[in-house]
Amino acid sequence: MEKIDKIIFGDNQFFGINHMSQEKAQQLSEKFFQTENIYKVYDLAFKSGINAVMLNSNDRAKEICEYFRSNKTKYGHLAWYPSIPYPHKYANMVNEKGIFPAINDVLFSNNSALGVLGMVAKGGMAVLGKDAIELMKMLIDIEVKMYKGLDVKVIFIQNIIVDLLLGYNVKDVFYEYCNYIRKKYNAIPGLITQNMPYLKSKLEEWGIEEVVICSSINKIGYLMSPDIQSYLDAIKNNNPDKYQLMAMSTLASGAIRATEAYEFINSLNIQSVVFGASSEKNINETVKLIKLGEIN
Amino acid sequence: MNKIKLGIIGMGRMGITHFSIINSHPEVEIVAVADTTKMTLDLLKKYVSGIQVFKDYKELIETSHPDAIIVCTPPNLHYEVCKFAYERGIHVFAEKPFTADVHQAEELMNLFESKGLVNQVGYVNRFNDIFITVKNYVASGLIGDVIRFKSEMFSCTVSKKEESESWRSFRKNGGGAVYEIAAHAIDLVDFIIGPPDNIVGTSMNQIYSKHVEDIVSSTFLYKNGCSGTLYVNWSDTSYRKPSNKLELLGSKGKILADQHGIKIYLNEDSESTKYKKGWNTVYITDIFTPVPFYVRGNEFTRQLYHFADTILGKEKGNLCTFKDGYHAQNIMHHLFIDAQKNAIIE
Repeated sequence: MEKIDKIIFGDNQFFGINHMSQEKAQQLSEKFFQTENIYKVYDLAFKSGINAVMLNSNDRAKEICEYFRSNKTKYGHLAWYPSIPYPHKYANMVNEKGIFPAINDVLFSNNSALGVLGMVAKGGMAVLGKDAIELMKMLIDIEVKMYKGLDVKVIFIQNIIVDLLLGYNVKDVFYEYCNYIRKKYNAIPGLITQNMPYLKSKLEEWGIEEVVICSSINKIGYLMSPDIQSYLDAIKNNNPDKYQLMAMSTLASGAIRATEAYEFINSLNIQSVVFGASSEKNINETVKLIKLGEIN
Repeated sequence: MNKIKLGIIGMGRMGITHFSIINSHPEVEIVAVADTTKMTLDLLKKYVSGIQVFKDYKELIETSHPDAIIVCTPPNLHYEVCKFAYERGIHVFAEKPFTADVHQAEELMNLFESKGLVNQVGYVNRFNDIFITVKNYVASGLIGDVIRFKSEMFSCTVSKKEESESWRSFRKNGGGAVYEIAAHAIDLVDFIIGPPDNIVGTSMNQIYSKHVEDIVSSTFLYKNGCSGTLYVNWSDTSYRKPSNKLELLGSKGKILADQHGIKIYLNEDSESTKYKKGWNTVYITDIFTPVPFYVRGNEFTRQLYHFADTILGKEKGNLCTFKDGYHAQNIMHHLFIDAQKNAIIE
């Protein structure tokens, strides 16, 4: 499996997501309403030596992808780590119409997404409703489309979807997802989860390897189910040739000081860290603190 | 006891989530699901091994003989499903709102209590680390007697005119901002302060919905002199996800809380909690407790494990019973009556 970047620049800070404070989230959301302000922060991150970006396929990501695509001479070296889908888009549609009408809308009402002919050829929902795998592939294509032309290294599925499916204990969906990402997009399949030890054990049981697993990893065990000790055991015993581990929520939404947080992270058998920050000082400080694989 | 044999009735958004969560419980076996959508049943049958699927909940119960069921149908169907289960001695977890009729809620409460069946309603905030902490602080007298409160909730559940009608478009089915969203803000008041003795000044607005309310506000009055306001809007597009805001003013200080944290202002130092005079902040990261399997927030896992563990005899089963569901239902019933009374007659 190709090695992933050690440091990846995340995007929560740009889109009003802050698990600690709604107020802080609102402030950032105001600041980054102007997309130029997002590009300025990206430039600070690249200046600090980061060459990799994780970006969720939310309603503003399309514009951001377009910007980086059209400035290829300046940004062509970047590695992209998309995460799909944007869950809230689906949540609201499902609320309003129910699950299948919502999927139907996503797949077929937006003719630009797939093309009416392609849809008719595939037989519409009547056929897809019997084949979850085919349905999944079409949904992936729609979400991944915006990243076309960028150097996509890993394609992640968001934790709400991964963990929901994990609860159903269905091998096929995970197996087919990983295959599809490798074959169609020539990328490494990625899974984001809040249940890393359990997911990893299931992947091992199912014989699914060469996957990137991204999960919250922090000193206080925040958003780490079932508990921190299970994480430490799973990390210690992991073979990075089979599963590359990526840490997110390393500061536990600001509950841990950066020096302390990364001292902990650096001591673990972790291959990569994704973090988000919006000031030059915090970006530079974090990049200096992350020293994966240098201690153990 | 062997594994609990569980059935899920209604595989919409909540049914799908509950399946994933409770399937992780080592002492629960999901034996069957029922739904009216053929596509849902086909997919589950094809990909999930070991479960039976049914179009009719009665058939599920008569064929699979579950020990317990989770009911996630539209709320107006909860009554008949719960009653059918009661008659066969089956434990029930019902989603919120408990019913779409207060008398049905009362009857179910009495029936399940009389037979000693485990009964729980999906008011998930009662399992949230923040709101449990707030409840404990108020009960322990940290801010003294509560004099005034605000319970607010905002979401962008409905953000445009409906293209088509579903059960959610009508109050008689359990649709509308009061049943779907305000129910949580009302339950929090019942959870932390108790049910009000009178409800006045209720008004409702429509923004996008044709038949149901999008906004509700009201004033709750208590015999002991406490009062508070409710304000809920499910069409607030500035919110990415549903958010509760709670403000409690007491004789010794005040508490502001949302899903992220708690701000506490005290008139004097508190010895029992070590909080100081003035402002204190508690973040979710200070008080969270992890759950065995996470899908949508710790509270969703905790409420279903509580249901299962109560059946197994490991929990008391008193954290969110049909009685609590009835309380919220009764408050909502009076909100509708008061709003009707306050309507401007042209």
